[in-house]
This record gives sequence, C-alpha cells and structure tokens, in this order.
Amino acid sequence: MVIPLIKRLVLLIMLGGLLYGFILAMNDLELVYNDFGKEYFLLNGLRETGSLNLVTGIYLDYRLFDSLFEAGILLIAVSGVMWISQHKIQEKNASFMLDKQKTPELFIIFSRLLYPIMLVFGFYVIINGHLSPGGGFQGGAIVATAILILYYIDITKTIDVKLILTIEKILFMALVLIGALSFVTTGHPFTNFIRQPEYQAIYLMTLNVLIGVKVALGLTAIFTAFLKEGR
Amino acid sequence: MNPILTFIIILIGFYGLATSKNIIKSVFCVTIMETGIILLFLNLGNLEGGMIPILDRLGIAIVDPIPQALMITTIVIGSTITSLALMLCIKIFHHFGSIEWKVVLKREDKS
Repeated sequence: MVIPLIKRLVLLIMLGGLLYGFILAMNDLELVYNDFGKEYFLLNGLRETGSLNLVTGIYLDYRLFDSLFEAGILLIAVSGVMWISQHKIQEKNASFMLDKQKTPELFIIFSRLLYPIMLVFGFYVIINGHLSPGGGFQGGAIVATAILILYYIDITKTIDVKLILTIEKILFMALVLIGALSFVTTGHPFTNFIRQPEYQAIYLMTLNVLIGVKVALGLTAIFTAFLKEGR
Repeated sequence: MNPILTFIIILIGFYGLATSKNIIKSVFCVTIMETGIILLFLNLGNLEGGMIPILDRLGIAIVDPIPQALMITTIVIGSTITSLALMLCIKIFHHFGSIEWKVVLKREDKS
C-alpha cells in the first residue's frame, strides 16, 4: 500500500524536474527558435518552388527526402497491420459489424447523397494543394473517408486488400523515381526537375496526386483489416 | 497559449504511460503525448495576428511554415503508430484473454 504511493511521488518529482528544465530553456527563446527560415521562405519560396502555398513548397521541394520516407513509413505500417491481422480461418464477409437492421434508413440515404460530394471535395483539396490550404496528405484522408462511407451504403461490397498493397508499392516506386529525376536535369537529387517557373506547378500537382492516392488506399486497407478483426 | 502549458500536456501523457494498468489506456497516453508535441511546435512558430503561409496577397505577416510542414509528418506517422498498436492489442487479447498489463505478464511467464 505504501510502496506504490512512494513510487508515484518519485515519478511526480522527476516530472517536476523535467518541467523546471523546460521553463529554464524557454527563458532564452532565441537559442531555441528564430525566424530566419521564415524570412528566407518569404523572400525566395515562390521563386524557387513555384508554389503559392509555402507548406506544400517545403514538403515537396526543400524537404522531399523527408516526405519520401514518410510515405515509406505509411507503406510499412500498412503491410505490418496486414501481416499481424492475417487469419488461419477463411473469413467470408465483414457484414457482422454493420447490421442492416440496426443502421437507420435516414443515415443510409444521407450517406448516398453525401458520398459523391465528399469524393469531389477530396480531389479538389488534392489537386489545389499548391494554391490553397490542403495537399496530398489531407486530401487523401478525405477521399479515404468517402470510400469508407461505401460500407454503410452497400455491405456486400468487398475490397481486395492484396491488390491495394500492390498498387501502393508501385506508387511508392513512382514517387522515388520522379523525385530522383531531378538528378538528370538539374544535378541535385530530390528537388523539382522542371526548370521553367511557369511549368513548375505540373511537378507539384503530380506528386500531390500520387501522395493523395497512396494515403487514401493505405487508410482504406487499415480500416478493412480492423473490420475483419471484429467478431 | 503558452509553450509551458503544452509541455504540461506532454507530461500528463508521460505520467499516464508510467501508471496505467490497461494496454488500451497506454495507447491513449501515447496519443496524448503526440498531441502535446504538435501543439508545442505550432506554438513556437506562432505570430500574433499572422495569416496562413499562402502568398496570394502582398505585404501580409505570415506564421512560420516550417513547423507546419514538420507536423504534417507527425500527424500521419502518429495515426499509423496508433493503428499498429491497436492491432497488436487485439492480437494480445485473442492470445492471452485479457488486456491488463499484470495478467498478461503473469500468463506470459507461465507459458
């Protein structure tokens, strides 16, 4: 009875020490953070990347190497979820979770109305990623949500998970190849491979569409794996 | 918001991770820590009255775009980590019949 109390007290004292160190570090904020980078991107960002949205310009041009590994981590996580959730017994369908009797009719009708609007909005967010708020990752999540609504409309629909995983591998290879293409044209790997400022948006739109489709398929595959797991 | 308040959120997640008895609660605490880290980074790049970093109007003050580009990475990776951990939780429940840390560790020693 006493020993857990002492353990918690020691833990609280250690966390208080961490907080004290953080407050000391926050006193000289100039050592932790400065806005030289912001000034540089404000002056040169549009000229060097051709993207009005500076966040898209950073994660598709200056830090493309980082984004490639992020897409790779998504691919690894999807294959990991698939591998952990594999079954010895063959499941026939995922209809036990979404019972047609329990789902209200109003919900199904409104899902039918909402589904195409969400799909179009997701593609709008993906394609306009370099002009307005949005991009491949956010739009891909919206498209995945629109695909998941299909489960409410028609339960008998099945998704081939192996095919989704194959498509994702091909998309990842395409991402790496397009990123490495700039080594031929400009001499620096993993930047924009188009030199002319008027046509640089083509590169940004292509990469945004590839990343968006990849994120949407990955989230759909994870949802399907969880749906098969419930019993 | 103050950066110190966001650091307190991270510490709350750390405390829960050290003291929770349920595996699902541990996964929630990892998510809480991740939320605190996202808020901390966005606070560091914040500017009072700044606009979003989109250059469609001239002469506006913008917030820092670098923490936002970093945090997109964190959000996507956090969702994948949560899904992997929850799938492992389901497998642990099917194998050991419980998701309490103590019961699982005891049954693992026996087998």
